Amino acid sequence: MDNRIKQIYDAVMSYDIELVKELVKKSLEEGENPLVIMNDGLSRAIIEIGDKFGREEIFLVELMIAADACMAGVELVKKNILENRIPGQKPKGVVVIGTVLGDIHNIGKDILKTLLETGGFEVHDIGVDRNAESFVSTAVETGAGIIGSSALLTTTAPHQKDIEKYLKEKNLKGKIKTIIGGAATSQQWAEEVGADFYASTATEGVNIIRRFFEGAENENKS
Amino acid sequence: MRTKVEVLNKTELDKIYQASLDILEKIGVNIEDDEIAGMMKKNGCRIGENNIVYIPEKVVTRCLNSTPRGKVRLSGRDPNKDIILEKNQKYPFIISHVLMNYYDELKNEYRTITADDIKKFITISDSLETISGSWMCTLMPEFGKMYTYYEYELAVRYTTKPVCVSSFEPEAVPPTLELAEALAGGKDDLIKRPLTLAYCEISPLTWNRYGCDMLKASARWGIQPAITVETPMGDTGPVTFAGNIAQKIAELLSGLVIVQILQEGLPVAFVVPLETFDMRTAQICLASRPDYLYGLAVGQIEDYLDIPFISPVSPDSKTLDMQQAYELGFSLLPRMLSNNKCIVVHGLDQTHAICNELLFLMDEMVLSGRRILEGIEVNAETLALEPLAEVASKMEGSRRNGHFLNHRHTLKWFAKEQLPRKDNIIDKYRREKWLEMGSKSFVKRANEKADEILSAYKPEPLPEDIEKAIKKIHEKYSI
Repeated sequence: MDNRIKQIYDAVMSYDIELVKELVKKSLEEGENPLVIMNDGLSRAIIEIGDKFGREEIFLVELMIAADACMAGVELVKKNILENRIPGQKPKGVVVIGTVLGDIHNIGKDILKTLLETGGFEVHDIGVDRNAESFVSTAVETGAGIIGSSALLTTTAPHQKDIEKYLKEKNLKGKIKTIIGGAATSQQWAEEVGADFYASTATEGVNIIRRFFEGAENENKS
Repeated sequence: MRTKVEVLNKTELDKIYQASLDILEKIGVNIEDDEIAGMMKKNGCRIGENNIVYIPEKVVTRCLNSTPRGKVRLSGRDPNKDIILEKNQKYPFIISHVLMNYYDELKNEYRTITADDIKKFITISDSLETISGSWMCTLMPEFGKMYTYYEYELAVRYTTKPVCVSSFEPEAVPPTLELAEALAGGKDDLIKRPLTLAYCEISPLTWNRYGCDMLKASARWGIQPAITVETPMGDTGPVTFAGNIAQKIAELLSGLVIVQILQEGLPVAFVVPLETFDMRTAQICLASRPDYLYGLAVGQIEDYLDIPFISPVSPDSKTLDMQQAYELGFSLLPRMLSNNKCIVVHGLDQTHAICNELLFLMDEMVLSGRRILEGIEVNAETLALEPLAEVASKMEGSRRNGHFLNHRHTLKWFAKEQLPRKDNIIDKYRREKWLEMGSKSFVKRANEKADEILSAYKPEPLPEDIEKAIKKIHEKYSI
């Protein structure tokens, strides 16, 4: 890793948003390949930060700020790619996320969104208090491979079942996978509603989604 | 504002102190040693029948004036880790006491303590930031005579933090002192960084032969005395708080007067438990409702006298159960809230047993106590109006959807305000995750943490010159 990329990596690891922006800008001006900045500097750092959080070596706020720092760098790289018409990297996968009907708690969903975006996924966030139709129609429109729904309250969690029901009605069950999370959910609940995956934390969700798309890609290749 | 709880006002403290002076002058102290009684007479005290010595206020005042004030040092191997007891300390120092038995909750085993138990307990204590030192009093059969020396040597092998001892055997003092001198770096340094030794006066108002011998040993060798009084409420002390505290102060001051008469200028610390004589079971208990209130008074009394109080805490519970947590919490927290200078935690079972897992419960409680002491900081930055406005400005449609989780204000303040720990063994997981991790109780998690420390943490080994000094001490005293 060259020195500038290492500096970008270190700036994300030290939660310094302004420094990340400054270094990414300089690096792009010096003609560094934006994909190298993205993969070796920004993504590498955020994967490491995510792992650290998973090992309980850092706290959630540190993960979030590092993700923001990373995202600030990603935005600059994206802009550069578009301006210079360099063929961009294909997203690692397309994901629709949102909070179910009646539930306005968005923190977990937002963490997942940030981590997925910084991890190279295309994320369509439909927001909070959304019905099953919104989830499924957005997934169809964007060609998403997976729908992630969050429910904090036991009173709203049953709406995750609505998504499964709606997918079945539209004959999409199995074609579009589902992952559920949120304080009111559990592995047992995922099995009960018929969701494909359950994640107890946002970082776990990212790992499951990453594995799912890697598996799907390998299947396509073979 | 920093947190401090007070239960006595200045007038009440003055009244209690005046009562202590009256006790010394009018009721007097029984001194079983003629030499000491004679010296007290020469220094302005009056001797009555049965060697009852009456100490006038002017003698007390003179002796208080000759006692070094402001700072008392408890020393160990590393001078940087010495405990300095002084006014306006940030937090109370916490000392873990090593006792006669070891309780293994997971094996349900209660045994006489072994050298290996001590090694492990001291190693864990050395590794924990919240524990500042160790106090030894095991009366270990494994060591036989000279146990004071043995346990001191064993402790300093596994910790560089201060080690203090309680002794009931004057003959073990010389080798212990020689080792302390070697650790301090010589005779002159031992004066600056003395060995601290606790011994007890006998209530009510009696210095028996053993106590007098220890007072003389302290003075002869320049050992810093931790004068201990025990006046169980309703037993050898009045059942009323004010009277009990007045008697304690009188007994402590009698020890201080003797020490200053024997060797002017020797620093002194007081060890002052509050024991309750339990009228239901006829047991003397340290953890009790009166003790929890007394805990709030300790810091005030020591500040009034300007002599540090080392304050023992000891749950009566026999296991690591809810009673244990209740008694430890209620004994520890009031002392911390009163800004007591130094708290010595005596395991469990009425000062009879120690337990490694208990150190982790104590560790958590101390950290929470420190956070309470820090109080609530109120300023423009902590009021957080700017960050709130920023967060509240984030909208999704017509609904606010901002949060503080990714705000730099949170990053800046969360550690100070919440005092979080990365290696916390207090369970905060969701039930499902807790089940996945093995459904472990606090004791089990603490036990695993103890094993982790014992396999990974290596206390600083004794330097070679100290090993040589120990060899010489063994030869000289046939140890």
